[in-house]
Amino acid sequence: MIGRRAFLRLALCCTLLSLAVISGPALAQSGGELRFCLRSEPKTFDPLLVDDDSSLSIRYLTGGVLMRANRKTQDLEPELAESWTVSKDGKQITFKLRHGVTFSDGSPFSSEDVAFTMQRLMDPALHSSTGDAFRSGSGAVTTKIIAPDQVTIVFPAPIAGLEHLFDQVAIMSAHSPKKEAAVLGPFLVAEYKAGSSVLLRRNPNYWKRDSQGHRLPYIDSIRLDIQSNRDVEMLRFKRGELDLINVIDSDYFDRLAASSPQLAHDAGASLDSDFMWFNQVASAPIPEYKRAWFRSANFRRAISQAINREDLSRVVFNGHAQPAVGPVSPANKFWFNSKLKAEPYRPDAALQRLQAEGFHLQNGTLVDKGGNAVEFSIVTNAGSKPRERMAVMVQEDLGKLGIKVNVVTLDFPSLIERISQKFNYEAAMLGFRNVDLDPNGQMNIWLSSAENHAWNPQQKSPETAWEAEIDRLMRAQASTADPKKRKESFDRVQEIAAEQTPFIYLVNQNALSAVSSAVQGANPGILSPQTFWNAERLTLNPTTRASR
Amino acid sequence: MPRKTLLWKIARHLGAIAGLVLLGGLFSATLVRLAPGFDADERELDPSLSAESVRALRQSRAGEHNVLGFYAAYLRGAMHGDLGTSHALGQPVQTLFRERWPVTARVAGIGLLLAWLLASALAFTACLWRRPGFEIFGITLSGAFLCIPAAVLALLSVILNAPGYLAIAFIVFPRIYRYSRNLLAKAYALPHITAARARGLGEARILAWHVLPVAGPQMIALAGITVSIALGASIPVEALCGLPGIGQLAWQAALSRDLPLLVNLTILVTLVTLLANSGADVMNYMLRPREA
Repeated sequence: MIGRRAFLRLALCCTLLSLAVISGPALAQSGGELRFCLRSEPKTFDPLLVDDDSSLSIRYLTGGVLMRANRKTQDLEPELAESWTVSKDGKQITFKLRHGVTFSDGSPFSSEDVAFTMQRLMDPALHSSTGDAFRSGSGAVTTKIIAPDQVTIVFPAPIAGLEHLFDQVAIMSAHSPKKEAAVLGPFLVAEYKAGSSVLLRRNPNYWKRDSQGHRLPYIDSIRLDIQSNRDVEMLRFKRGELDLINVIDSDYFDRLAASSPQLAHDAGASLDSDFMWFNQVASAPIPEYKRAWFRSANFRRAISQAINREDLSRVVFNGHAQPAVGPVSPANKFWFNSKLKAEPYRPDAALQRLQAEGFHLQNGTLVDKGGNAVEFSIVTNAGSKPRERMAVMVQEDLGKLGIKVNVVTLDFPSLIERISQKFNYEAAMLGFRNVDLDPNGQMNIWLSSAENHAWNPQQKSPETAWEAEIDRLMRAQASTADPKKRKESFDRVQEIAAEQTPFIYLVNQNALSAVSSAVQGANPGILSPQTFWNAERLTLNPTTRASR
Repeated sequence: MPRKTLLWKIARHLGAIAGLVLLGGLFSATLVRLAPGFDADERELDPSLSAESVRALRQSRAGEHNVLGFYAAYLRGAMHGDLGTSHALGQPVQTLFRERWPVTARVAGIGLLLAWLLASALAFTACLWRRPGFEIFGITLSGAFLCIPAAVLALLSVILNAPGYLAIAFIVFPRIYRYSRNLLAKAYALPHITAARARGLGEARILAWHVLPVAGPQMIALAGITVSIALGASIPVEALCGLPGIGQLAWQAALSRDLPLLVNLTILVTLVTLLANSGADVMNYMLRPREA
């Protein structure tokens, strides 16, 4: 027989054990410091001026937004705004704000803060890239505070996909003396050692709670070491000094996967693409006959057909990349035109196309109608091993058609100067880091008048019929709030891009990351930030930590 | 009079330093201005920036197109304590220097001290005990470190989890060893030292009274030069080891063609190097034996 006292003890033990199990990760695993690297010095802590990767990471971890695109489902989810309504004409949006939210310094959050943030963001003197995304027409943006928990923002012209842009707008306090240091996100900047590290501590006033009612985040602090050298970053990860690597190259990934497969994560094709293009600028200092090649859609298409994308994916990225289809990665679930397929490797078809254009082979060398041997240089940025290898493989592929390609690697400032100011290049290879799912994020690439219309920027009026058509379609999709109509327009843009091939899209790299076994709750995705998008719900396993 | 001459020498050095620093700054500004990619900013490729913002970005560097104009404005600002603002890091140059100088002073200082201790110990050992083994060991060790690029030594220190100053010590060591060993060997080969040995003078006395006075002035000059070698070595070491010092700053500034930062860094490095060399020169002058 069990005595009364013994029974009570047993019951107490069972109760405590049950409580420990029920309280789950929040009680058992809260606390600790998460550590990972920023690859460059953050240029600003002002959330409205962010335009570099490191500052973006800090803004993501510290900034509170009205709504957030779920990094796994790609759907918009309410955050500081409980709900929102976009007017039919796409010119205004009204937010119903969450109650009882305070900034990290204790000052209350209200519609005044939203209005203040939007007014500051849209100040033309600020030159904020986040703010520029909201510029749809001339005229001022106005804000109407309807109630402490309700605010309307009115834009001078319709903005397609308006609500999606608020994923990037971290709300600032209108009254706090701490200015941008008062935040609504899960963490706050506690310490910054220039060139060394940024320490983020948990925001004690963060509004989110888990299903058991525990205030998030679980982790006490995040130490972001500034480390540009990827070898060193990987070495430190292997030593257990780092918990995450947000984006890693395929070589490192395979090495890690070979030794510790459970730490290496391949989330599939990302939104980022690598591509090349030919210089079609009328004033570029290149021979006239070469400009004629580069302006020929058949020439560009033939080059595209002569590149073996499957090989690029297999050899350069060890299979961790997909042949690219066009300006939108298949990973972008809504905007990708599923009718399009990646250009297959067809050197015979490429040669036929070139012959139809007047090119012919002469002693193994491809020459044009005027007898000029087909030869051009591809400039790309030095230091990017995958891109350098891709350029060499393109060189080999085109060599089979009798085309001589020279690969030139330049440091980034020199490359930018050549491709955007002096136009002193023939072909260029670069990558596009796409953080925006919406095609509006590509307006400055596709409009013929745009600065980033890489192959022939800042045209006074479209120089070709197909560029005029793309201009029309891009403006059409931007001027309607109807997602179906927008999709139709942008699908057509993707088709024209495939036919005319102003950009020769090569691959979409996979989103590769590394997560230590000490981190629990990580679910790496393809959208940035890949590994810590749910930072407030990540926990650290003290046992694993101690054993490392 | 010796005191008057010394003051005149110091004044002459300071004048030369001021002139060279000013010229160095101008030379650096001209080089950066003429470097490819000077006028380019990575942010220009950001598709979310409007045409107005890109224009404003370009306009923000318009004041730097005329090098002489920029340099005159820079000197005017410097006289009022304003060294300008870094483009790449968006912070005042004074703040950056204040935060980072202690790191470099510590890393390069300890590295330099270790290099001198190791090189002097090996050089004296090789000269005092003239055994082939010491000679071969010293030459092989210094030759090996001389062949290894500074960046590789920095990477090795990262892989072995060794402090950055060790990499600097091994970068500077062979330069000190080879030169000081030759100086000491030449000094020990002088006839009066052989005579002193024949009279039975102890090695310590010979070193203090007969070798150091001969080799000392040039060793002091070498000390001045090694300061600039250590500062140069701190660029790859700090960049690769992730040490937030002046070397890392110089690396970032060069990559981003950060004109205000590069001009200030050139002036700082020139100033430190010239001060070290002039200090060595003045010290030599003060220690020089004078006729009664």
